Amino acid sequence: PQLHPPLGPGCWQSPGLLLLQHLVGDKRQPRVWDPATLGGIPCPPKSEEQKMVERVMESCPFKAALACVGGFVLGGAFGIFTAGIDTNVGFDPKDPYRTPTAKEVLKDMGQRGISYAKNFAIVGAMFSCTECMVESYRGKSDWKNSVISGCITGGAIGFRAGLKAGVIGCGGFAAFSAAVDYYLR
Amino acid sequence: MDPLRAQQLAAELEVEMMADMYNRMTQACHRKCVPPFYKESELSKGECVCLDRCVAKYLEVHERMGKKLTELSLQDEELLKRMQQGSGTA
Repeated sequence: PQLHPPLGPGCWQSPGLLLLQHLVGDKRQPRVWDPATLGGIPCPPKSEEQKMVERVMESCPFKAALACVGGFVLGGAFGIFTAGIDTNVGFDPKDPYRTPTAKEVLKDMGQRGISYAKNFAIVGAMFSCTECMVESYRGKSDWKNSVISGCITGGAIGFRAGLKAGVIGCGGFAAFSAAVDYYLR
Repeated sequence: MDPLRAQQLAAELEVEMMADMYNRMTQACHRKCVPPFYKESELSKGECVCLDRCVAKYLEVHERMGKKLTELSLQDEELLKRMQQGSGTA
């Protein structure tokens, strides 16, 4: 029996197979992707710096840090405001009938403001971080992202006080963030 | 057909093939990843992530199909050669 010659570089190949190899097979050349020639609307290409800045601004840690700072400011303002309308500020437990001095009142207001600010900052950072991660995982951006991340954040906060508090926190925070999302969209 | 002629022809066809593939890819990924609710002009993070994944998958599919197609064409060609030689000697 006559053995057929091996399919090597020396023997004849059909034109179709040769073309295929050049187009999608082993013999293809390195390609240049240019949307202007391929059919997209021509626009100046983005510089590396612009791309890096955009990548940082869209990243999850940056968004969490932004929410942290925003939460800190908002919490500080909220804390000072509630301290302003509270009658117990500057209360001295050792001598309840003495009117507190201005310095004591201001110090108490500051402490309360800082405490609220820290809480708001942590909650904001957690919520933003989980929302960003959920959105990256799902690949969609709709109302479910904030509900899921609200449940996770509320659950994590309430879980320290027990399982039932965790479930209630999850539901409450999820409903709250769903309401905010509905209002914003 | 000599390899040089084949390469030239392939270069011409490749431009057309790439343009067609780019258009199809943008259409498909836009349909899958960007829902038609245009509340703001910027792409959100979820949509960006989805588009990245869509393009990567599309290109990977294109490459794998190309490899499979060349493999099958090679097999067909070997079969054809064997048949020709078989009929030639017979």
